[in-house]
Amino acid sequence: MVTIHYDENNRVHRFIRSIIILALSLVAFVLIWWFVTYMAELNAFPTPDKVFDALIALIRDGDTINHHTLGEYVKSSFSTFLKGFLIALVVSVPLGLLLGYVKPLREFTAPWIEIVRPIAPIAWAPIFIISFGLNLGPALVVAVGIFFPMLTSIIFGVQRIDKTWIEASKTLGAGQLQIFVKIVLPATVPYILNGMKVGLGVGWMCIVAAELYAKQLGGIGHYLLIMTDNGLWANAFAAIIVIAFLGIVTTGVAEYVSKYVSRRMGMEA
Amino acid sequence: MKSEMVVEGEKFSSKNRVRADRTDELYADIPEGETLMKIEGLTVIYRSDDKETLAVDNLNLEVKKGELISIVGPSGCGKSTILRCIAGLLQPTRGTITIGDKPCTTAGSDRGMVFQDFALFPWRSVRSNIEFGLEVAGVPKEERHARSEKYLKAMGLQDFADARIHELSGGMKQRVGIARAMIMHPAVILMDEPFGALDAQTRNILQESLVNVLKNSHRTIVFVTHSVDEALFLSDRVIILSKRPATIFKIIDVPGERPRDRASPEFTTLRRDILDYLESQNVMFESEKK
Repeated sequence: MVTIHYDENNRVHRFIRSIIILALSLVAFVLIWWFVTYMAELNAFPTPDKVFDALIALIRDGDTINHHTLGEYVKSSFSTFLKGFLIALVVSVPLGLLLGYVKPLREFTAPWIEIVRPIAPIAWAPIFIISFGLNLGPALVVAVGIFFPMLTSIIFGVQRIDKTWIEASKTLGAGQLQIFVKIVLPATVPYILNGMKVGLGVGWMCIVAAELYAKQLGGIGHYLLIMTDNGLWANAFAAIIVIAFLGIVTTGVAEYVSKYVSRRMGMEA
Repeated sequence: MKSEMVVEGEKFSSKNRVRADRTDELYADIPEGETLMKIEGLTVIYRSDDKETLAVDNLNLEVKKGELISIVGPSGCGKSTILRCIAGLLQPTRGTITIGDKPCTTAGSDRGMVFQDFALFPWRSVRSNIEFGLEVAGVPKEERHARSEKYLKAMGLQDFADARIHELSGGMKQRVGIARAMIMHPAVILMDEPFGALDAQTRNILQESLVNVLKNSHRTIVFVTHSVDEALFLSDRVIILSKRPATIFKIIDVPGERPRDRASPEFTTLRRDILDYLESQNVMFESEKK
């Protein structure tokens, strides 16, 4: 009999271990799903095999009702997502740094943030689309979702900056602006990236909300809604899996970048 | 504890901050051994919600150009408070601090500081940490590089120029801290228990390194420590503070050229004397309690 000794310090061993755990976890997930849907016999909850068939069909043939390929849908959703992310990034970074750095401003605007933050992005969707059109509206819905986790993380990060870094830079002659650029900004980078990681996950939740009202755009969220409207539940679940996959890939990349940069900078957020 | 305290006038404008390097040249007309810095009537009162604490009480001190002066005293006696006032990181409640005849109000590059917890920037390399002040002062890249090279060598850091801060040991970190302050040629260098976080052996090695560097490059240094041994090994004069509120208890001139022999009878007698002084005043030192 072959015995394998697991070595915690071996990188390959650790990698294989994490892959095995992931595979077992996914298998268990599918089995539970199968068992529950098979026993319950709910119409809107198809069994995994039906969803799998629908997913394969979606990948191979695309949307046969509206004659679009999966690639077109993903591309449309992804471009909305990317626009939303860029808007959130461009607004949240300077604003977060400013609010973190200037206490009176932070105190003054805190109620505004608390009022606006709890509003679900789906509530913004029709308002934004009517106000800003199909090009910008859906992207703004996504941006709102990504914006708040990023803003919160950045404000927190600025406040967590080691006071002795600021003091040291003062005794080396740095003025207010130099402290901001050379200390506050780099010291907050791990928090910006961490907020980004959380925000991107929320962003994918907003895609369906955005595309609910932007029918003309297509997109994977829109496909999901057409399928549920027509009671094609297996196809709807296939769309959910596609969205989940996109979410996992983007947050995975963000997580990797965040960890890599923080380690390179010698800071763990 | 410090963060709970509200210090009067804690915030001040950075408008008048000195940014230039080689500020020691501004005082070239003051000869070595003459008074460079004057502390007059320094009083610091910490205010918290319900009470006032007198940390430093009417302290007067003159620091001569080119000397290394140590401030020793029991922990919590206010020695770091004095240093932070000189650095401009804390505004005194009363009293003035002047270098030459220029009053020190805000922090600036004319008073360099070495911190107990190093206060290095982890996102910068060793070299880039050392060059920070020069960068802020707008010194061109080639000159920065040439000058940091010199200090990397002097502090024994030449093999670590591109290393990150978290890759260094505590002793190495403080070598970077010292180089970062010295490269600016400030009028006065302030050292706030710089070796306090290091083990005894590293401490001795760094004390010797500092003595070596000062042999080639004469500086005015105010050094805060709670180790009598360290103060005697390094300084020209030792200022012994009383318990809080800090006032000057005694000033001792330390004879002999550096480097000094810690085991010499002179050294041990002086050390014994200071400890006796302190014990007679019921001032116990943390390091000597054990």
